[in-house]
Amino acid sequence: MIWLALLGPVIALLVHLSPAAIRAALTAPGALAPLVTSLESGAVTLAVLLCLGTPLAWLMARGGLPLPRVWEAGLLCSLLLPPLVIGLLLVFMVGPVTPVGQFLATLHLSATNTFFALVVAQVYEAAPYYVLGAQAAFSEIDPRMEQQAELLGDRPWRAARRVTLPLAAPGLAMALAVAWARAMGAFGAVIIVAYHPYGLPLQIWTTLQETGLASALPFALVLLVVALPLPIAAYVWSARARGRRRG
Amino acid sequence: MLEADVEVDRRHFTVRASLHVADGERLALFGPSGAGKSTLLEAIAGLVPVRSGRVALGGRVLTSTAPPRVRVPVWQRGVGLLRQQPSLFPHLTVAGNLRYGLGPGQAGDQSVDSLARALGIAGLLHAMPARLSGGQAHRVALGRLLLAGCDALLLDEPYAGLDHALRRSLTGLVVSFAADRQLPAVLVAHELAEAQAFAHRLAVLDRGRLLQTGPPDQVVLRPASRRVAELVGYLGFVPAGPRVDGPVAGIHPERVVPGARPEEGMVLAGRAEAWRPAGPGWEADLRTRGVLVTCRLAARSCDTGGDLEVTAVDPPWFGPDGAAVPAPERQRAC
Repeated sequence: MIWLALLGPVIALLVHLSPAAIRAALTAPGALAPLVTSLESGAVTLAVLLCLGTPLAWLMARGGLPLPRVWEAGLLCSLLLPPLVIGLLLVFMVGPVTPVGQFLATLHLSATNTFFALVVAQVYEAAPYYVLGAQAAFSEIDPRMEQQAELLGDRPWRAARRVTLPLAAPGLAMALAVAWARAMGAFGAVIIVAYHPYGLPLQIWTTLQETGLASALPFALVLLVVALPLPIAAYVWSARARGRRRG
Repeated sequence: MLEADVEVDRRHFTVRASLHVADGERLALFGPSGAGKSTLLEAIAGLVPVRSGRVALGGRVLTSTAPPRVRVPVWQRGVGLLRQQPSLFPHLTVAGNLRYGLGPGQAGDQSVDSLARALGIAGLLHAMPARLSGGQAHRVALGRLLLAGCDALLLDEPYAGLDHALRRSLTGLVVSFAADRQLPAVLVAHELAEAQAFAHRLAVLDRGRLLQTGPPDQVVLRPASRRVAELVGYLGFVPAGPRVDGPVAGIHPERVVPGARPEEGMVLAGRAEAWRPAGPGWEADLRTRGVLVTCRLAARSCDTGGDLEVTAVDPPWFGPDGAAVPAPERQRAC
């Protein structure tokens, strides 16, 4: 029952959509531009999380940072802050009149109403999900595995490539998939700092505001189709990888 | 030759030890839990920092705190460490685990196959580690170390928790491989019999201090101090005469024979306070001269509370300061 209830919104979406409405909505001029924006910004967001979040998660899992509880509390704080509040605070942090904003301006970047701003907002909304998930994935690995790899002649980076990352991969994939879904659906912070360029969530919002619920539904379906396959694929792959290890 | 003269800080004390193990020689580090045995092995392997001292293997300095300071990283030390957890990589097959330490240019298929046959795991090369029994996993871990070409073997109670027969067969494998390859090998052992079966020399460590090093029978039969005697299993210390501050004889439960045989050692007579079954024989608590002595005997010779007379065979003697002393001239029945 709970399972059905949780799936209820998706079922309602499918029930209320007709192929003609989908076709009409998606073939309108410029209708797919937000999709492209969301995919591009989502890909950049994932790359940023992979490059910066993975080492941070590893350091947190291995106790390699001073005051580890403070780092965890910081991540939890950004996880628990309502996205709308994050957006408001980002304006005060990276807006054009702030020192960070002025520094960004020297690099010809702006964290307000730009593609860069969209990525920044998505990173803030998705990062805690990825880092905490990746930290859990690394924590599951016995540090003696890495020690053993080094005792067998591997330098630390080689041990990470041959042992740590393959062992953490199923958990990292799941964390990345969740972060992807969060980035794709990021709205609260995005609407404050990056109203333009439109991504899919803002397209749904403005369509809803301008032409009503029925017109927005096809874009909701597009968002689901874009956001969900990666988590599902990651789940299936993780389950298979864990199954292979069990022999 | 493996040489280690090191001081390593632990939370409550500093481990100070000097070990020299020749090529092909096997040394057992024996001592109670928390004595610093594993810390010493980890210092040799480069896994924990050394406060001061030097570690060298085959003439190559691995660690030196004297100028010029040296700390060869773990991956370049050529030291193999086996622990209680085999730490097989769960995402690799047995063959993948065995080949792990082979360099990129080393094909090694033949050596993998022949080693797998020698270890009795030839039929498991395509299995995942999760499917292996404890003994099989330890064989794979040993094979992985040997294929990686380590220059010294460090064994940190690797077979604790396995059954006796399996432990014996795995220890036998390590002994034969270490002998074949003339590797210096150090075993950390919690059980004396295991240490004796493995080692040419036994080193007794207690709270970070090496108390005695020597051939196993010498350490067991002639402990250098009362503390060593306690650690190797002497359970009772009986004075030679009425003087309580005089020398005492160490009584090992296994070095006791029934009856009075003064020509073999020290005769102990007293009351049997308790009898317990112990393996194929019996264990008695003998109260003699106010001291409780445990004796293991083949047969129960009296009832509880009855008179019991036994002989402690050639017991070691200790002075009031705990150091070993020569046996008194005349040992008489107590």
